[in-house]
Amino acid sequence: MALREVPRSARQLLKQPSAWKPSVTSLSRCASTEAGPAVPDVETESGLMTPIVEREGITIMDPRKRASRREHELPHSRYRYHPPKYDRGPLHPIQPPPSSDPVARNFTPGPFNLPRLKQTYHSTIASDILTLTYQHKPPGTPEKPERIRFRSWGDETPYMENRPKRGPRGAEVLLPLEPDLNYHNLPALKAVHVAMYAPQAKKNPDHLTVVKTIMQTISGVRPTITHVRQSVAQWHVVKGDRTGVKVTMKGNQAYEFMDKVIHLVFPKIKEWQGIKGTTGDGAGNLAFGLEPQDMMHFPEVEANYSSYPQKMIPGCRVYVETTAKSDRHARLLFGALGIPFYGKLVD
Amino acid sequence: MASRLPTALPRRPTTSTLSPFNTLAPQTTSSTGIIPTLQQTQTRNATLIRRPKRPYTFTQVIQLSDGSAYTMRTCSPHSLYKSSKDTRNHVLWNPSEKTLKNIEVDEAGKLAAFRGRYGRGWDAQSPEVEARPQAAAPGGDAGNKGGDGKKEAAKADSSFEEKFDSSYDPLGNLISQYSVGVPEDKAAKAAKPKK
Repeated sequence: MALREVPRSARQLLKQPSAWKPSVTSLSRCASTEAGPAVPDVETESGLMTPIVEREGITIMDPRKRASRREHELPHSRYRYHPPKYDRGPLHPIQPPPSSDPVARNFTPGPFNLPRLKQTYHSTIASDILTLTYQHKPPGTPEKPERIRFRSWGDETPYMENRPKRGPRGAEVLLPLEPDLNYHNLPALKAVHVAMYAPQAKKNPDHLTVVKTIMQTISGVRPTITHVRQSVAQWHVVKGDRTGVKVTMKGNQAYEFMDKVIHLVFPKIKEWQGIKGTTGDGAGNLAFGLEPQDMMHFPEVEANYSSYPQKMIPGCRVYVETTAKSDRHARLLFGALGIPFYGKLVD
Repeated sequence: MASRLPTALPRRPTTSTLSPFNTLAPQTTSSTGIIPTLQQTQTRNATLIRRPKRPYTFTQVIQLSDGSAYTMRTCSPHSLYKSSKDTRNHVLWNPSEKTLKNIEVDEAGKLAAFRGRYGRGWDAQSPEVEARPQAAAPGGDAGNKGGDGKKEAAKADSSFEEKFDSSYDPLGNLISQYSVGVPEDKAAKAAKPKK
């Protein structure tokens, strides 16, 4: 090595200057080196030693009086933080706060209560369904292979190699397979969609006002207006007419709505036998309808029923979205919620 | 709606030289007034963050017909709703309750006299329908079903002694029926003891 022969002082000069040279240790200050006073793991003072505050001991000044005695004015509300009115995308320097932030413009407060039906579901129904659908498998039982619904393209020609599998024969839609129910995939209510259709609204827009009002009162959600999708000459509707109203309830609101419908509305309907057994889309979403004369059984409509023009009240269609993957499981949930079925059951 | 989508809008022709696209692909604007080709630049316009519109909801106490009460959030301004007819006093949900069935009141014997005179061809329907409603209420009729099941199980126990060994569980097939999804008529046949 030639570097060895040069004296120590010259060796420093020959060396390449490194950018990653550590600084001189004596000059640097690390935060970790200066550990503060040791923090005790256990508090020396007991929490019980704090004096108990009685209601009488608290003195609160009347807020009105306090405001009048204040010497200086409070800062104007324009000095408060106001979230931006517009969302300008994720790359913009000004970002709106998340909707969970109470100052955000799209903040929705709540929940304000725990719905009764939800409480029942978590305390009773979920465990009931789990017990009902339990099927004992002796340990060591080989698992049933999953039904393969996709077809292969055949291996005659190399042209089809590595091609994604062919769809199932017949049906266009591939419905979900029914899984074994477990503690983590029990059927539950996901959302409730309610729709009302009033084709007379084309002639007389007052119909739409009534329908919107009723929909808002029974659901507690601001409805959106639906339009005619396809012109039908016999029904005197033209594509684009504003003839209906729809609403989607999720979470607590869905539970409250179903509670109301099951326990207060269904029993009041004359000659009601249950929901049709043939309902269901095959993927665990069931639906039912309410006639125009049944709408008055909702407690909100009943409260001021006389203020609605009676002839303008239409019926509604209710689509209940569940987390069940098959109609059978959804029907099991409905039965546990207290909805009877009549007629032939179709799975 | 289409105006909201950022990609749907054509981008304004910019004259700033700071844009990197100008340097990469210089605009082909010529003095003859040919419209420049649509730039492949994405634009992100501002979208208004709307305040959600929520109708005011009150807390309402709902008293069912049997006196039980619970609270509910509702748009109705009344603080109390007393229900006259609900699942607590409906036959469909309480099939074993005798008082809820509409048994005809014939104190004066007028209906019996009518039948004696004109016969009962007008109500000659199957007596089973009268006795029990057609639809089965899965939520409410647990007691009724349980009674049936007990009887069946008792019958089954006596008859199964000779047929099967003692390890047979009469409730086992009921449970597996729910999990696997046997069609109802088949399940009913299987549950009934053979005569």
